[in-house]
Amino acid sequence: MLKLALRNLLDKKIRFALTTLSVVIGVTFVVGTFALTDSLRSTFGDLAEDIAGETDLTVRAAQQVGGETDRPTIPDSLLDDVAAIDGVVEASGTVQARNVVIVDGEGNAIRPQGPPALGMNYSSRVFFVIDGRAPDGPGEFVVDATTATGNNLEVGQTYTVNGPVRSQPFELVGIFNFGSPDTNTSLGQTMSVFDNNTAQQFLGFGDRLMEIRVLVDGDVEEVQSAIAALGHEYEVITQETAAAEQSEQFQSVLNVFTSILLVFAFIAVFVSAFIINNTFQIVVTQRVREIGLWRAIGVTPKQVSRSIVVESAVVGLLSTAIGIAVGMAVSVLMRAIIRASGFGLPSGPLVLRPRTVILALVIGLGVTMVASIVPAMRARRITPVAALAHDYRIERSGWRMRVAVGGAVTALGVACLALGMAGVGSAATVLALTGVGALVTFVGINVSSPAIARPVVRVLGRPIQALFGMPGKLARENAARNPRRTASTAGALMIGVTLMATTAVVGASVRNSVSDALTDAVSADYFIRSEGSQFDPATGFPAQVMDDLGDLDILESVVGYRVAFGGMVVGGQSRDLVSADFDAVEEHLDGGVISGSIAAGDPLTGVALHVDPAEDLGLSVGDTLEATFPDNETVTLTVAAIYTDAIIYGNWLVDNALWEQHLSRRDYRFGTAVVAGLDDLAADPQLAQSQAELLERSEIAIAETVAGFPGVIGENRAEFREANEELVNSIFAVITVLLGLSFVIALVGITNTLALSVFERTREIGLLRAVGMTRRQLRRAVRWEAAIVATFGGLMGVVVGMILGVAGSLATPDSFITTVDVPFGTLAIYVVAAALAGLLAAVLPARRAGRMNILDAIAHE
Amino acid sequence: MSDSATVAAPPTHAAARAVAATKIYGSGDTAVRALDAIDVTFEQGQFTAIMGPSGSGKSTLMHCMAGLDRVTEGQVLIGEIDLSTLSERDLTLLRRDNVGFVFQAFNLVPTLTAIENIMLPMDLAGSAGDTDWVDEVVSATGLADRLKHRPSELSGGQQQRVAVARALAGQPQVIFADEPTGNVDLNTGAEILGFIRNAVDEMGQTIVMVTHDAMAASYADRVVFLVDGKIVDELVDPTPERIRAHMNQLGA
Ligand SMILES: Nc1ncnc2c1ncn2[C@@H]1O[C@H](COP(=O)(O)OP(=O)(O)OP(=O)(O)O)[C@@H](O)[C@H]1O
Ligand SMILES: [Mg+2]
Repeated sequence: MLKLALRNLLDKKIRFALTTLSVVIGVTFVVGTFALTDSLRSTFGDLAEDIAGETDLTVRAAQQVGGETDRPTIPDSLLDDVAAIDGVVEASGTVQARNVVIVDGEGNAIRPQGPPALGMNYSSRVFFVIDGRAPDGPGEFVVDATTATGNNLEVGQTYTVNGPVRSQPFELVGIFNFGSPDTNTSLGQTMSVFDNNTAQQFLGFGDRLMEIRVLVDGDVEEVQSAIAALGHEYEVITQETAAAEQSEQFQSVLNVFTSILLVFAFIAVFVSAFIINNTFQIVVTQRVREIGLWRAIGVTPKQVSRSIVVESAVVGLLSTAIGIAVGMAVSVLMRAIIRASGFGLPSGPLVLRPRTVILALVIGLGVTMVASIVPAMRARRITPVAALAHDYRIERSGWRMRVAVGGAVTALGVACLALGMAGVGSAATVLALTGVGALVTFVGINVSSPAIARPVVRVLGRPIQALFGMPGKLARENAARNPRRTASTAGALMIGVTLMATTAVVGASVRNSVSDALTDAVSADYFIRSEGSQFDPATGFPAQVMDDLGDLDILESVVGYRVAFGGMVVGGQSRDLVSADFDAVEEHLDGGVISGSIAAGDPLTGVALHVDPAEDLGLSVGDTLEATFPDNETVTLTVAAIYTDAIIYGNWLVDNALWEQHLSRRDYRFGTAVVAGLDDLAADPQLAQSQAELLERSEIAIAETVAGFPGVIGENRAEFREANEELVNSIFAVITVLLGLSFVIALVGITNTLALSVFERTREIGLLRAVGMTRRQLRRAVRWEAAIVATFGGLMGVVVGMILGVAGSLATPDSFITTVDVPFGTLAIYVVAAALAGLLAAVLPARRAGRMNILDAIAHE
Repeated sequence: MSDSATVAAPPTHAAARAVAATKIYGSGDTAVRALDAIDVTFEQGQFTAIMGPSGSGKSTLMHCMAGLDRVTEGQVLIGEIDLSTLSERDLTLLRRDNVGFVFQAFNLVPTLTAIENIMLPMDLAGSAGDTDWVDEVVSATGLADRLKHRPSELSGGQQQRVAVARALAGQPQVIFADEPTGNVDLNTGAEILGFIRNAVDEMGQTIVMVTHDAMAASYADRVVFLVDGKIVDELVDPTPERIRAHMNQLGA
């Protein structure tokens, strides 16, 4: 039987290649993802060790609250205490801040995409100067080689640097490699490095430090406990711990990246499974007569199904092998691209872990085998009569059964999805419920969709028939000819379109919700932010910007905002913290205060909070609560106000004064400004003229101020709103593009099915050509058949996606989505895109049909 | 003896002709000379039967004459058109507009109804055809009540009648039929042959039919005998007995 199965594969090379291709794509995705991230991980691990390798012990403030960027500082007097301990050879203090943005020679802010823009103090142990010299003095700095070459920064030139507090010109005195003398391993970060004092002052540390790095001669453990004895507010970590923390930090970024890629790999594999299943179904149908003959000459049903399974095993194994090879190649290519894009990635070995190979096998072989089970079972039911019968059909379950079973499965899937989207259980459970729910839903739809395939396809084909006459009619009839095949082919496409449509609906809803919130709640006239995304918690601009704006007479008031995720612990739980200026914030942004008054709150002990946490904790205005901050201080806060809009204020709002006492970051995430006297003018229509004039003058004044800080943007209301909408759009656009990859796989599926169908209809095609159908007409018929099937898939996808998107949007908490919006235009585009994809997928099969030799086709058995 | 004038006049009465038509399959040692310099003319309004032993080149001749295949040497003409001068596309259009073809089986497109199959060449051309003529053809098939049926819902004989109707519907210059009754029982065969005879007599069609059956060949006006790719004999106004006698004589 093995021989027979192999013979079959070799006989049908194209079919085999196409089946293999769909599996290969899925496996490639998985292997590529893992090989790339494993390689990066090992490289990062080495790098982390390199960086930490120069230090035996690191002293820093112990931290219970907040993230790494909110770690409290230590006094630089500690440096002497540490240095005085026996066994300490060298103790050096470090400071580091984010959002230290260099302005290049053309006045553009150099802001890396993703990695942070760091400011640090100089140490000869990690910064290896390759050009110029080390920084020495208040007006000097050095930068990493990648940043310097990438932005044409020249030693000897003076550049403006935006720090967390202020903006200041520095002379570039040197260029260094980070981490190693030979290659810069800055990993895409920009690094502005100053001497110790300058760094402390410019980065807002005053006379404090972030860490002390210690070199030890003798027993490290002894020194460690001696340093720890200096005070329980300090902690001392070893080289290993430091390296582990560093690499964990790298990895947390990688993990997000890996998860995203794996989600798409999963989708790719899932779509492939549809295609494989479809292919084997068709193959069994095409071989009915041959299998009937086997049965007639004494092959048992078991042997028949076994041969199908063997065939699928060979396909699975081979495509897994190809997938692993291609996946490795892809990961090498990806790494080269990352390196070429100036990411400062050190070279390292390509890592293929056994886990990756096993996973590839499970996916490639497993999915292929599972997908072939049903066709194999169907092949078993073929009787010897099939060899003789003209038009033999394998018995199959009735439509009614199909719809009932499919409906039940779909309902089950939707139920899982609903639970997932309603956020039942932990994040992992939610993800699992959503994933499994989506999967089950698709299977359910696939089971029942053949029941609607014929009528829907007939309707879709009507205009095509009207447009193209006989070729159009043949396209329509052929699309409706085998509803199961049509539904299954369309199903592969449906998955991608569903996901894209869901994304479109959720994206539009988020965009509108953000827009609405901004329209309703915003009374500020101007908005200050740094270039790039204000949704990125790491971005910020110098505090000085808001001070300078505050000095403008034309502005009534300005407010700066800061955010710290987990920046405060209340009731044993980390809380995300927003700070602003209590006295003016309500005039800038209306957070829907329902009781109390934010302006009345004490800047140092007042807090305003959203109704949800207020209800949870049973707090009302005037109540007190204990809050612990990153500097480990616990403060008694008094509730000044309770509000309803979390999009604007977050859940917890304190004054900037309180922040500056307990948190270390000084830059602002965001700022708002209100123009003086504008409201009075607006109240009087007679003064519309002067209102416009005032706006114009204020706009100029703000632009002038902000111009002193390249990379900082001042926007009016319309611009701000537009920027926000664009931001949401671009995030969802990226997701959509990635999801679009499943489109490509579905294309392979359409090509595959069509090629098989064309082969199956060889005789019919010969006949059509014999009675005078031109090649062009024939190709047209094949192409439009594909377009109809693809449109069917696109339509199903859009309908299902719309339902899921609306349900998802409704299930999302109001703090994120308040209005549900269905972007019909976008959805229509997806359907059209599906149709075009179908046309494209049909190019090869159509050409093949056109090339068929008429006489061979007529003689075809 | 005014015959010389007739000879000089263009042969307008020829619906299709082969002139020294040779067809060689393969090359070298394995080359097969399926048609060997055949000269044959099919007159307009005539029903010709082609007979000969298996492998004598009957199907090859049909295919070459109908523009489904090209001869290796010599000429094939439909009316006055020399097929060897036509491009692939023009050949297709010629098949669609000027030639009808009936195969032994699988003559119909399974997704189309009987009437749609009959109208297929005209629909491909985007023309309505001659409605009266089509009506006449359709009523002659005796299948007026089954026109909306798909091929799978028709018997073999009915399917063949639909196939002949399709060949007739476009009023082609000539119709080629390769064993159209090869797959049906005697009665059904008689039915189909009656229909073809009728098309020649009543509708003035030109038909060339390959058959192995002397009974079937006797419906024709003329029988041409083929052996080893050559025309060896011819019989006008045949009867089954005379045909059989000829066949025996040929040793087939
Ligand atoms: N495509 C081909 N390639 C090679 N040889 C061929 C091909 N088609 C036909 N032949 C050969 O040409 C010769 C004539 O074949 P043809 O099919 O015309 O015979 P036929 O008279 O129709 O026979 P039958 O009565 O069996 O249908 C045969 O020897 C056959 O083997
Ligand atoms: Mg033959």
